[in-house]
Amino acid sequence: MPTITIDNQTFEFEGQHGLLQFCLDNGVDLPHFCYHPAMSAPANCRQCLVEVGMPQRDRATGEISTDEDGNPLIQFMPKLQTSCSMQMADGMVVQTHRSSELVKRAQKDTLEFLLINHPLDCPICDQAGHCPLQNQAYKHGPEGSRFEFEKVHKPKHIDLGPRVVLDGERCINCTRCVRFTREVSKSDQLTIIERGVKNYPMTPPGVEFNEPYSMNVIDICPVGALTSKDHRFKARIWEMSKTASVSTVGAKGSNCYYWVKDNQIMKVTPRTNMDVNEFWLADEERLEYRKFNEDRPDGPTVEGAPVSWELAWKAAADCLSGVDGSRILFLGSAWATVEDNYLLAKMADAVGASAPVYLPHVEEGHGDGWLRTDDRTPNAQGCERLGIHAASAQDLKARLEAGEIDVLYVMEDDPVASGVCSVADLAGIKVVLHHYNTTNQTLQAADVALPAAMAVETVGTFVNVDGHAQRLRPAKAIAGVNRTLSMEIGKCRADRHGTPFDKWYNESNLINCQPGWVALPAVAAALGHEMTYKGPKQIMEEVSASNPAFKGATYSAMGELGVRLESTGVTA
Amino acid sequence: MADFIKHPVVGLPDRKPDPVIPADQLHFSDEEKKQIQTWISRYPTADGAVMRALWLAQEKFGFLPPEVVQLVADELNIPYANAYGVATFYTQYFKEKKGKYVLDVCTCFSCQLCGGFDMLHYLEEKLNVHKGETTEDGIFTVQEAECLGACGSAPMLQITNGTYVHNLTEEKIDALIDALREDRMPAFTSVTLPQDEDELGGNRRSDVEHTEAYQAGPVSETTR
Ligand code: SF4
Ligand code: FES
Ligand code: FES
Repeated sequence: MPTITIDNQTFEFEGQHGLLQFCLDNGVDLPHFCYHPAMSAPANCRQCLVEVGMPQRDRATGEISTDEDGNPLIQFMPKLQTSCSMQMADGMVVQTHRSSELVKRAQKDTLEFLLINHPLDCPICDQAGHCPLQNQAYKHGPEGSRFEFEKVHKPKHIDLGPRVVLDGERCINCTRCVRFTREVSKSDQLTIIERGVKNYPMTPPGVEFNEPYSMNVIDICPVGALTSKDHRFKARIWEMSKTASVSTVGAKGSNCYYWVKDNQIMKVTPRTNMDVNEFWLADEERLEYRKFNEDRPDGPTVEGAPVSWELAWKAAADCLSGVDGSRILFLGSAWATVEDNYLLAKMADAVGASAPVYLPHVEEGHGDGWLRTDDRTPNAQGCERLGIHAASAQDLKARLEAGEIDVLYVMEDDPVASGVCSVADLAGIKVVLHHYNTTNQTLQAADVALPAAMAVETVGTFVNVDGHAQRLRPAKAIAGVNRTLSMEIGKCRADRHGTPFDKWYNESNLINCQPGWVALPAVAAALGHEMTYKGPKQIMEEVSASNPAFKGATYSAMGELGVRLESTGVTA
Repeated sequence: MADFIKHPVVGLPDRKPDPVIPADQLHFSDEEKKQIQTWISRYPTADGAVMRALWLAQEKFGFLPPEVVQLVADELNIPYANAYGVATFYTQYFKEKKGKYVLDVCTCFSCQLCGGFDMLHYLEEKLNVHKGETTEDGIFTVQEAECLGACGSAPMLQITNGTYVHNLTEEKIDALIDALREDRMPAFTSVTLPQDEDELGGNRRSDVEHTEAYQAGPVSETTR
């Protein structure tokens, strides 16, 4: 097998590899700015320079020349090479900054150049704290600058488009943003204009940077030149906790991080998962987070009056008890997790009702074959696999109008807003509603309203449109004590922000709501049906063991990147 | 145009300019299209031909406002952003309307030492404009240029991306301005090389009508 020696350590490799990527994959932390694994390598930042040599060959025999001890003689290339654009070859010998003074010096000098015209505004820059330029200048850069002249001033706080703001002075012209629009999103809305010290990225005249994936350039920009119009100056990176979870905006289930400060979602950024969203996230997936913070209910209500959770469980159970199962309609939800939908199906079964159905939220033409989908819900596929099928608003409307229904049990959806019925239509019907927001239009008709934890507050599973089962993790705490949630928050966040054990812990903005896997067993218990689980993990174990459509989807198997389920032939 | 060295400020281009070329004139003739296609065929991909096509467009329209860059991009079937990036990279592509004659006075090292700035200032005073500006009658634009590769005949200037005027003196500038006002373009002139004097009469080129003898450069007044 071909081998390569990096800093005197020999690695075997197969196939074609870029040197920089190979180093990064093998724990050699080579500094770099312009290289990005999803795009071409223009080798323009010069930060990734290394010494590269190949074994010397005897011209006549073609044999590798050796020294007296039999070690191959290495001929180094006369100049340092950019590792990002270098393909590996058998026998190659590489010296990085870990073993070469020359490389160390080159990295330092490159940084000095990059910083010549870079403003020293880190104290007010959104990128500070997670800025590759800042980090690398700290690790590999010179102590100070020898540049004593006025820096070049470029346009600042320019709206490149509705969502991305440019600070031209901070740009180091790595061209990642331009290459993103050229090679990845293919919108071709950006270019580098001018040249030399005057250049910076810009839209050509008459063009707005408004493509639906524009905000990805904010993440890949290695400096603070591109920032989010929405998030600018809202929170420093170290004031937020970061939780690996899944987007709720479409059926693709893009992997993301939820950033939380004071129990509020501040921003959403992509999390790499090569089987789902690769490195990217659509703008809509980043911006639809206010629903998690705003218009949230505060505790359960019965007939509009606040009550304790115990009374609320009892009231919900009272609505169901004594009613003929065939006259109860259970509405599951493609917003809710597999676990919660499963419990709802169990409850429906326990009271003798037919299996729940769910309302599809499909917007024809919204999808683009990439990360945005026509389906605007995250878990329709999970519902289908549970045997909870889509029901059209018209069918449900007809059933309600025919007087077939006495009790409508709605989990985490809004039949009124979905056109199933009006509030008036529900006059003679008992309605139990698990809801996320006070803007839920069915709320006015609800006899019992049970605020539900949203995807960022619960533990559970979503199955995406391709059958990829992925775990949700709680990014923000809710009111009250829940051991499962506390443990999950403590486990899944390296920074431990927001757990009662850390100094950032904060009781503001805690929402008085309950996850479905707490609420449904509580209502069932009040009805006299035991559904005892230690938590969603155990529920999912039961689902994956009993339902072949979920084979293998245990929490430990899903981990951070999810599990691709076998195709069932059912499409959501 | 402010002095970039003293005030290093880079401006923002007008991001929503009104078109200046009337829509009915904004197209290439069949012949021009054919020419562009020929250029495209010489490169592996169409963007190779972008510089030639932009040049052709500049000669046709006089300068390259965004709508002309867009026209070129469409003709080549490449992204408008790419063509615009190329157009802004090169100073010889004029992004705004210039005078009929653009005088690029070299003030790079060799010319500077031989009086490049003196020539520039003389021209500025004579035409009553600052560098980067166009005379009121719209005939001349005076610009400062970096090395134009004719250091041997410094100081020098170039007329509208074309003809060079070598070994500049104030008298030569006077004569040049008079000539250009009458639309008499100086002929292409080759400067002889001292090392060729013995054998070739100083001139290696056989295809030129005008030659000018090499002369040792003057020394700039400001350098002295
Ligand atoms: S704005 Fe950022 S991503 Fe774009 S070229 Fe500049 S440094 Fe690179
Ligand atoms: S990462 Fe190699 S030159 Fe920029
Ligand atoms: S310095 Fe003027 S032409 Fe070279």
